[in-house]
Amino acid sequence: MAETVIEVQNISKLYKLGEIGSGSLRRDLNNWWKTTIIKKEDPYFIAEETSHTSNLDLWALKNISFEVKQGDAIGIIGSNGSGKSTLLKIISRIVQPTIGSVRGKGKISSILEVGTGFHSELTGRENIYISGYTLGMNKREILRKFDEIVAFSGIEKFLDTPIKRYSSGMYVRLAFAVVAHLEPDILIVDEVLAVGDADFQKKCLGKMRDVSQKEGRTVLFVSHFMQAINNLCNKALWLQQGHLKEIGTCSAVVNKYLASVQQFNLKQSWDNIQEAPGNDFIRFKKIELIPQMENPDDPLDIRIPLTVKFKFWNLTDNVSLSIGLHLFSYGGECIFDNQSPGGYYDKGLIEGECTIPGNFLNDGSYFISLIINKDTSIQLYYFEQCMSFDLEDYRGDIKWYGKWMGAVRPRFPFRIEQTTFSIE
Amino acid sequence: MSSSEKKMEWVIESKSSYFDLNLKELFSYYHLLFRLVRKEFLINYQQTLLGPLWVLFQPIITTVTYVFVFNKIIGVSIGGKLPPVLFYFSGIVLWNFFNDSFSATSKIFRDNIQIFSKVYFPRLIVPLALIITQFLRFLIQLVLLVIILIYFVVFKGFNVTFTWYLLTLPLVIFTLGMISLSIGLLFSIITAKYRDLSNFVDIFLRVLMFVTPVIYPLAAVKEHIRWIVQLNPLTPLFELFRLGLLGEGTVAPVQLLYSIIFMAFSLIITILLFNKQGGKLIDVI
Repeated sequence: MAETVIEVQNISKLYKLGEIGSGSLRRDLNNWWKTTIIKKEDPYFIAEETSHTSNLDLWALKNISFEVKQGDAIGIIGSNGSGKSTLLKIISRIVQPTIGSVRGKGKISSILEVGTGFHSELTGRENIYISGYTLGMNKREILRKFDEIVAFSGIEKFLDTPIKRYSSGMYVRLAFAVVAHLEPDILIVDEVLAVGDADFQKKCLGKMRDVSQKEGRTVLFVSHFMQAINNLCNKALWLQQGHLKEIGTCSAVVNKYLASVQQFNLKQSWDNIQEAPGNDFIRFKKIELIPQMENPDDPLDIRIPLTVKFKFWNLTDNVSLSIGLHLFSYGGECIFDNQSPGGYYDKGLIEGECTIPGNFLNDGSYFISLIINKDTSIQLYYFEQCMSFDLEDYRGDIKWYGKWMGAVRPRFPFRIEQTTFSIE
Repeated sequence: MSSSEKKMEWVIESKSSYFDLNLKELFSYYHLLFRLVRKEFLINYQQTLLGPLWVLFQPIITTVTYVFVFNKIIGVSIGGKLPPVLFYFSGIVLWNFFNDSFSATSKIFRDNIQIFSKVYFPRLIVPLALIITQFLRFLIQLVLLVIILIYFVVFKGFNVTFTWYLLTLPLVIFTLGMISLSIGLLFSIITAKYRDLSNFVDIFLRVLMFVTPVIYPLAAVKEHIRWIVQLNPLTPLFELFRLGLLGEGTVAPVQLLYSIIFMAFSLIITILLFNKQGGKLIDVI
């Protein structure tokens, strides 16, 4: 069994919001006097520990314990504000925990941003040294790797130009080249994928895979990019509002996390016709979005067909009705407008459904609006944004993590064949 | 559990000790220290017309102003037979060393929040780099001072006799540097927590200059208020600096001892406080 390299024991971190202001010097002195000189319990601390927690106190992390084994690649996931970055900062020694301790062995390098220690007035060459030393490289390492770093970044020609003259792409490449050549025992990476273009992301992830899989180093990795986590990490740790929700095999934790964060607004029904959405012609009784998947706990991804079911009261006799399903992206752009053929209906309940096939939409968030028309063109009722859903990405074996372009992602078949075997 | 704990190399805890000064770790970052010193010089003099000559211009211009205002217009007596240029220049050079080191170190948390919040390294590296930078600037200015001194000796017939006091100069400079480092650091901790106190730093420095024999010699201070100036631990250092270099100054060994004890005391207090508070400050800046 691999040995433990980091042992996080019962870590909690309290941020006192709004504490710094007038009177805090007096309060601090008072506090210090009572706790250190008179040896009383800290009066403020007790107040925070009890259930009556001031709304200015924020527990960014609460009772977190886990172990990291040599060679583990752990993905840390959770929504914004769940404490991921705080946890990394504590393990990186940047902030101190309020309670608890972290023990470990080996040298840690943390990449919490790209370009730490860079100064815009200095040349690329100077910045490689400064940044390298700041991140904990020693002179031997830098001298040995200097040429490699320069080659990796591709800025040879501009090595002696102040980096304020660099394009943002050059800046990011140089910055990443430095961090990519760190050789720590434990590498901590926070959301570096948020910057840079697809090319940069690919380089970044490739390097991280080398570090964890080829070189067998230990990696802690924060990302919102579940595909990357799934591919790079063997374990995942899920934080929810500062609590450790789950730690375990990567795919299992990631799936549970995704299923929990998805915006489900999949089912609504109204029994009372007076209160149901609609007007003098139409009243909706029920709308439902049914994903066609086997395990309801799985996240909704792009492969899954979605069936939209609806039921409404038609309040007019002998009317020609057609139904339209409008799908909007989160940004409000209409992806498609799917109209049913018209037909004559009498008063009463009308039921219908329409299925959006799997492997058709791109990943993202969507709204559905339903429209009911009379004589194919006169709008009777427009049920705007009545349903919403998120589709997660799924790429299977494709080892590329850039944003897939396009509003839709259909899989139309290709026909490809080689026609000649010579170039003329 | 207990067996694995023994094998661990480092520990991060909620409480930091007053005595947590890890010299070995500090030393392992000495390359960073030199790079930061280099950086200070590079960013201050790159893209400037006169470059590093600014190090010399600043005290020269100040000296000219002081000589003109205090000597020619107001007629402040500097006593003795020192040429005013030498008197003011020596005072200004030494005061600048103290003043600039102090004000630079007192702002380290504010100026470095970006980097302190993203990467760990021993925070003491930063103030040390700033002090070394200021010391190098001081050395350059000191060379100019010596050149001016030689000029006065050769062409103006100024008579300076070499005394053993000259050998105390390194001690004087070291003590002054360490006082500025320790008080500067103390202020950096306080102002990181209580922002408004940073306004106090400038006022404090301005007032301090007037109770330090920079633009007047201690001997020119009236007897009955001289104790105020002598209470200032910088006073013996300025007097000894002029005594050693120019042959004029009023200082007793016990006063020098006072300065050294003050330095040792403030340095210890500051380092203890820095160890204790350094890790927590990042939360409040």
